[in-house]
Amino acid sequence: MKAVCWHGKHDVRVDTVADPQICSKGDVIVKVTLTCICGSDLHLYNGLIPTMKKGDILGHEFVGEIVEKGSEVKRFKAGDRVIVPFPISCGACWYCRHELWALCDNSNPNSWMLEKLYGDTGAGIFGYSHLYGGYSGGQAEYVRVPFADVGLEKIPDGMTDEQVIFLTDIFPTGYQAAEYCDIKPGDTVAVWGCGPVGLMAMRSAQHLGAGQVIGIDRFPERLKMARVHCRAEVLNYEEVDVSQQLHNMTGGRGPDSCIDAVGMEAAGTGLVGAYDAVKQSLRLESDRPSALRQLIKACRKGGILSISGVYGGFVDKMPMGAIFAKGLTLRAGQTHVHKYLPHLLKLIEDRQIDTSFIITHRMALDEAPLGYQIFGEKQDSCIKIVMNPQAAPAVAPTLNPEQVPACPLPGHGESRQ
Amino acid sequence: METSETERGHARSRIKRKEVNVGPAERRASMVGGAALALSGLRSIGKKNFLPGLAMMAAGGLFLYRGKTGHCDLYEAIGADTVHTSNSGLRIEKAVTIGLPPKQVYEFWRNLENLPLFMKHLESVQITGERTSHWKAAGPGGVSAEWDAEMMEDTPGQQISWHSVGKADVPNKGTVEFKEAPGSRGTEVKVAIDYYPPGGAAGKSAAKLAQGLNSQQLEEDLKRLKQVLEVGEETTAKRNVL
Repeated sequence: MKAVCWHGKHDVRVDTVADPQICSKGDVIVKVTLTCICGSDLHLYNGLIPTMKKGDILGHEFVGEIVEKGSEVKRFKAGDRVIVPFPISCGACWYCRHELWALCDNSNPNSWMLEKLYGDTGAGIFGYSHLYGGYSGGQAEYVRVPFADVGLEKIPDGMTDEQVIFLTDIFPTGYQAAEYCDIKPGDTVAVWGCGPVGLMAMRSAQHLGAGQVIGIDRFPERLKMARVHCRAEVLNYEEVDVSQQLHNMTGGRGPDSCIDAVGMEAAGTGLVGAYDAVKQSLRLESDRPSALRQLIKACRKGGILSISGVYGGFVDKMPMGAIFAKGLTLRAGQTHVHKYLPHLLKLIEDRQIDTSFIITHRMALDEAPLGYQIFGEKQDSCIKIVMNPQAAPAVAPTLNPEQVPACPLPGHGESRQ
Repeated sequence: METSETERGHARSRIKRKEVNVGPAERRASMVGGAALALSGLRSIGKKNFLPGLAMMAAGGLFLYRGKTGHCDLYEAIGADTVHTSNSGLRIEKAVTIGLPPKQVYEFWRNLENLPLFMKHLESVQITGERTSHWKAAGPGGVSAEWDAEMMEDTPGQQISWHSVGKADVPNKGTVEFKEAPGSRGTEVKVAIDYYPPGGAAGKSAAKLAQGLNSQQLEEDLKRLKQVLEVGEETTAKRNVL
């Protein structure tokens, strides 16, 4: 089969590899019909997550059709179309039984690696380094999915892959980020990063009753999408002093809660931004926390910091004094996708929320190297790329972005334009 | 720390401080064995068997160094220490919480033939009597060891302890405790195993085997036990059955 394989920093290739097989009784083999490149895949692409090996198959956002199942799979049969959560969860351990699915004790065969780093392990994740188990990912024609009965959700008849694909990661991730904010009616929620997760977080914050949602980014197309599709007020952090502006917009209080949808590769400004960039490139600091520092400074007293952007290691110059002085609460972590999936699927099915508006690029799997490049460099107004591994390449893969036509935004959904 | 004044002096004089990690009995054995090895090496050279002779002298020298300084690089590399443990053994302790009642976890362990299902270094455990069993272990590079074991304590649902008997390749003893965990979390399983690697040539082979008997390995073994009991089988990330 064809699969998108990691070969090193800024080097992904579409290789021909052996088809996956059933290895455990609870497995299914899924024929992938739609998969995406996630912002967190860019951390792998940029070589910031250790323990990647040449030939590792990428991808943790994918939906598809079951073609084969293990002897103990009860809820599914061949032919079922399914949504696959990105964390792999056993369903049996204490954490799974307490809805902390992304903290599963048993699904990461390399748990000792994370234990050495962090003191304990998290769940295995598809296509996300050997730290997270070394599972092959879903940017491929086929993928082995363990614990099928625990994690998968059937795609209701009549719903398209594009309608449900974001339930695998970014919609639950944005929703969890908003839920962690403990939103009271009329609250102000500020979201750093108007990428896919930030947009989902803004949309979710509104759904959960926020009165004012503010999106922060520097790319005009992202700010526009936040304004148009998420009814957010927007700030360009390269043009204004974010925390001062946020105070002005909230009667001098600051946002009730702040969401970090950026993570370890924040593009900082000024001297401190340069400091982080230099330290990260010299491996003296693994993560650049410039967005996180702004969250801490801007948040109102007693407010909540909700961190959905991925951090991997250590950060410098954390304003710990501000966290303490303002009595802030910090919530973070990988998303417990299983917990949110049924509810969010219902919201989409009932047409209360449409998430497909973020798709800007549709590609065949063969074009993945180009996809990583333009998404990584934020070229061509790229916000979200979806790839169909079963489709023949629409255009010959090319690394000259000027030859690639920009896909128009879909005409349906909540667009007010 | 049982480091003597002279040893402290030696340690200070070296650039990188080398800890004493070889127990007193083992150090005496290393001195005697090392000297014997070096002497027979010299004798071999006398008989014009140059290469084997040199190798024996070098190995003898290493054992003498180990005996004199009390430091063993191999032990350091595998995280072993036979000074700071009880009875000069090599002690490994680990704990894990498993989401099943103590009785069930105990019963699984009590059937000793289940142990190789999660203990990677064990090839097989065979029940040979009411309290006795025969264990086979394999280490890196095709090293293997066998021993007979006898159960010393067996308190259903609470504790099992055993020790090797007779002429064991790697004398050892172990205890596993099963305790109810708070808040319906199941069972806290606490394992302590002592190994007593012998000196001499057998010791080298045993030390090689001991590379697979470190606390990292025991931790992974207990994780596997948890997977087998909670999930029903060992978790794997592989893509093909091969």
